[in-house]
Amino acid sequence: MNSNIDKREMQNYLLGTLAADRRIELEERILCEPQVYEELLVVEEELIDQYLAGELSRSEQKQFENYFLITAERQENLHFRKLLKRYMDSRAQLASPGTSAAAVQPFETSAPAKKSLPFYSGPLANRPAFAFSASLVALLGIILLVWLAARHPKQPTQQIASRVTVITLAPGSLRSADTTPHVNFPPKGYDLKLELELPRPAFRKYRSQLLRESETVQTSDDLKPEAKGDQNIVPLTITREVLSPGDYHVRLSGVLDSGQDEFVDNYSFRIDRYVR
Amino acid sequence: MNKNWVLSQESFDALLAWLDQDRERAGAKYEEIRRRLIKIFAGRGCIEAEDLADETINRVTNKLSDIGNQFTGDCERYFYGVANKVYMEHQRRKQPQPPTATVVDSNRVEQEYRCLEECIEQLSDQDRELLLQYYHAEGRAKIEQRKQLAEKLGIAPNALRIRAFRIRISLQECVENCLERKLR
Repeated sequence: MNSNIDKREMQNYLLGTLAADRRIELEERILCEPQVYEELLVVEEELIDQYLAGELSRSEQKQFENYFLITAERQENLHFRKLLKRYMDSRAQLASPGTSAAAVQPFETSAPAKKSLPFYSGPLANRPAFAFSASLVALLGIILLVWLAARHPKQPTQQIASRVTVITLAPGSLRSADTTPHVNFPPKGYDLKLELELPRPAFRKYRSQLLRESETVQTSDDLKPEAKGDQNIVPLTITREVLSPGDYHVRLSGVLDSGQDEFVDNYSFRIDRYVR
Repeated sequence: MNKNWVLSQESFDALLAWLDQDRERAGAKYEEIRRRLIKIFAGRGCIEAEDLADETINRVTNKLSDIGNQFTGDCERYFYGVANKVYMEHQRRKQPQPPTATVVDSNRVEQEYRCLEECIEQLSDQDRELLLQYYHAEGRAKIEQRKQLAEKLGIAPNALRIRAFRIRISLQECVENCLERKLR
């Protein structure tokens, strides 16, 4: 900018922390000089980027949320930038050199991924005959499982399931603070299925609200509980398209016969940027 | 604030004539001043930035018969003086509560995302490449990558920022129009 007002001052102005005398000078120039006004728009844009990238200090972040985001226009700009960021993240994931092998796998919690057979280097690698026999036994086992599955079809909801990866989440009230599960961003064509463990089965139907950074990204009604072993869970499928890296919370409510909600519990997880 | 005060055609014509003798240029100037006033009120933390900008314009218009031929100098500075007065009056009134965050409809977000993909496809190859490269970089690498991009394009880093911003604005407009069509 060809002036004595720098980008930092403009940022402070937008965050409401610029000294009054500098503010007056800047405002006069915003009104009278087209290039200063355009610079302000660009800085506003960059401030949103910095916020989304987590590059603001704690106090700046607070000012951003409580002061900068007061107008509907700025909220819309933030929403659009999130959308663009999601697009860029999905591109980055597809273009990332490490994704060719790992990203095509269903994404899982961030526990170390197991190596796939083509890259197998375990103790059987030097004993091909034994490895072949083991593979044959495994193949027969798979055929047997498929045959058993055909004889005892599963529930329709499971049959029509598209490609999903399942992650089981314990209720926030029963989990320690530092154990937020990490989930890798799903590869194209995969959805995320959450199994929300119930502290106690109390309702016939449930309702959920998925939030990312306090913004609701998906709501689901008419969720039915299922038994899984000795645990009761509520299955919730989240389409890949609504996800992007970040912290998520699911607010689960039971639906009373009157149709009203009763809060059950919160569930948290984090979507990581890339497949590890 | 008198929200019911509406500009009559006569008053508006007088305002345009005061801003510039050429009616088209005057119209553009009016739009510019209004946009900038909104930014200034928003910069001061006013939720009702648009209403305050309109109130400022209304008051200036109302005074035109007094100041018309005697006023010399930049019209914008006069607007700024009136805006300060409007702001002080606004501060004396009770502050309204900030708007609550809107609940996002996931279906709408999905349609928006589809629109974004379509609109990115519609960009010229050059603009699409610039946008993707400009917004691709993150963290510490961002500054260096953008510098390299500017060098590759043979433009100054600041010109690159502005060019990326303009593409981003046109993209947002395209997505808004696309969404409007889809929701119709």
